[in-house]
Amino acid sequence: MSKLNETDIQGFVLRGYNMPYTRYLFLHLEDAGRARKLILRLLPGITTGQRWDGGKPQSTVNIAFTHRGLEALELPTATLISFPVEFQQGMKERAAILGDTGRNAPEHWDGLWREGRVHVWLGVSGISPAALEARCAELLALVEETRGAVLVGSQDAASQVVDGKATTKEHFGYTDGFGNPDYLGVERSSQPGQGKLMEDGSWAPLATGELLLGYADEAGELPVAPVPHLLASNGTFMAFRKMHQNLATFRAYLEEHGELYGGGKEKLAAKFIGRWRDGTPLELSPEKQDQSIVLDPKQSTNFKYGGDGDGTRCPIGAHMRRVHPRDAFGFNGKLIDRRRITRRGQPYGTFADEDEVVSDADDRGIVFMALNASLSRQFEFVQQQWIEYGNDAHQGNDKDPLMGNHEGRGKFVVQGDRSAANPPYVCAHLPSFVELKGGDYFFIPSITALGMLALDLVDPR
Amino acid sequence: MPNVNGSLYGLTILSPILNDEKATPSHDLQIRAYLATLPTGADSPFALTAGTHLCRLVVMDDVVYVGMPACEEHLQSKYLIFECNLDATDDAGLERYLRGMAETIPAHLDAVWSHCVGYPGAKNAQAFVEYMKACQIETTFFFAAVNDKSLPESLNALQTQRAVTDFIASHQGMEPARLQAEFVAFAAELQARPVPKPGAPAVQRDIKTGGHNE
Repeated sequence: MSKLNETDIQGFVLRGYNMPYTRYLFLHLEDAGRARKLILRLLPGITTGQRWDGGKPQSTVNIAFTHRGLEALELPTATLISFPVEFQQGMKERAAILGDTGRNAPEHWDGLWREGRVHVWLGVSGISPAALEARCAELLALVEETRGAVLVGSQDAASQVVDGKATTKEHFGYTDGFGNPDYLGVERSSQPGQGKLMEDGSWAPLATGELLLGYADEAGELPVAPVPHLLASNGTFMAFRKMHQNLATFRAYLEEHGELYGGGKEKLAAKFIGRWRDGTPLELSPEKQDQSIVLDPKQSTNFKYGGDGDGTRCPIGAHMRRVHPRDAFGFNGKLIDRRRITRRGQPYGTFADEDEVVSDADDRGIVFMALNASLSRQFEFVQQQWIEYGNDAHQGNDKDPLMGNHEGRGKFVVQGDRSAANPPYVCAHLPSFVELKGGDYFFIPSITALGMLALDLVDPR
Repeated sequence: MPNVNGSLYGLTILSPILNDEKATPSHDLQIRAYLATLPTGADSPFALTAGTHLCRLVVMDDVVYVGMPACEEHLQSKYLIFECNLDATDDAGLERYLRGMAETIPAHLDAVWSHCVGYPGAKNAQAFVEYMKACQIETTFFFAAVNDKSLPESLNALQTQRAVTDFIASHQGMEPARLQAEFVAFAAELQARPVPKPGAPAVQRDIKTGGHNE
């Protein structure tokens, strides 16, 4: 596998920018000709995967399209119907498959996502609020000048900034953003535990085709992709999900059960996810937080579950062990190599200190994006089987304790041992800590493909 | 014995379907039409037959020609395939199961297998057992999700697991003497519960799986 052409791949696909301020602009396309002109004008400013040897830019821009957006661009029918069916349908139509039911059902989503008018996602990030505002103003000026689209919504997100530095904390207090997978050909600083597990216990990058279209995947196959090949190659698919966090409910539940659970509140919080809230993996340090592990790239994602089959260190149903089971299902991890996703995201809404009074109604949550070559094989599988179900982990109907659509009926078993500090415990009547507020499936084209869209050169023959 | 995995028997039966050009519609179509009407849950005839862990019926028309460079081949007959994981570890156990089937759901069996060559009917249980065994082929390899528990044992175990988890969830932290008293009462009540019906999930999942476009 030779090095990928980083100048052809959108930067957002290859790496997280770690910029503290982000705005997602959502556009509706009304006229294909004018929309193409807009794309042509946006094209030179799209951030690619090229490394920032000259230092971090002030801001970044990336672009993606829903299937309806590609229809609005009047792509040939033969191309439009060659996209995978789940992308053609969009996330709303997939609600029953994803378990987006009850309070997570589309009828409860934000108006923007209920109406289905979103054609384009523009992801804009800045190193400062001013840089973000300036870049957004430029983009919206282009939209206005070309009359290529209508702004139908926007979503701000921002990292919690402590002492001038952006953190990776989310609203429940967990340190997020560990361990995105490595892929063959993608140059990034990687660490053990981020790729796939090899026979000798080492970690290796996943096949490029698990992330990018046009390359062999872990089965040695080309992922399902639209025609022509050039439109698909170096592109990927994204699930965009706006997830509201019921912070008051989370804190109250943790408080109530932290008192009953012999290990105490902080340990219970850690058992939910598999890491202490400071990021220390339970698997490596089951009894206490340890920043020396968190800060050591050789350790922070470098662990397995094989030696913890009973889940007495990291519970079998803990969030992290569900969504990246490593070797937990046996066969040296081989069962999970085609179910990996690359995650991007940032919190939205104001952060609240532990002693601050909060309400579930506060507008607060996380913008979550999953990038993968196949939405159905990767993102949808993880969501359906590992978040909204527990059979693969031998947890019956139990859902992910933190992300599951519980609505008061959820259950989470904390496995334990005979020690007083690590007793077993059953978390019953779990409420929904997180609620879906909308989102959709997007195609993130390569720079070449964007040019084809802009110049009306998509030819499926 | 390749037909057995632990305490489970993996039964494979291939019954040749009648080839009668005068039949309208053809016998394979009549089988398909009848199978399509059968319930798959607790009312499934195979759930009513004691000892069925799971089963599947398939009408096999022919081998599918996939184009060059494969060579075009055909079966001599259409077949009805019946695959079933059941509680048995030997020939006597298999005969017991088949006899139970003939006694429990004879009308269903006749409606399906009467379209097959040489079918004697389920009324004569012994003849039915002999017919099915004559159509049996060796399974050679099969998967059993649980291969060390009988069906009633598995159904009871699932019921017990759910009940005990619920008990723990509602009694965690209780004062020991009261906990013990409540546990004794709970255990007695649990033991008196009947075996749950096969094919009836205790929890309905509100998620769409196994459907089209998944």
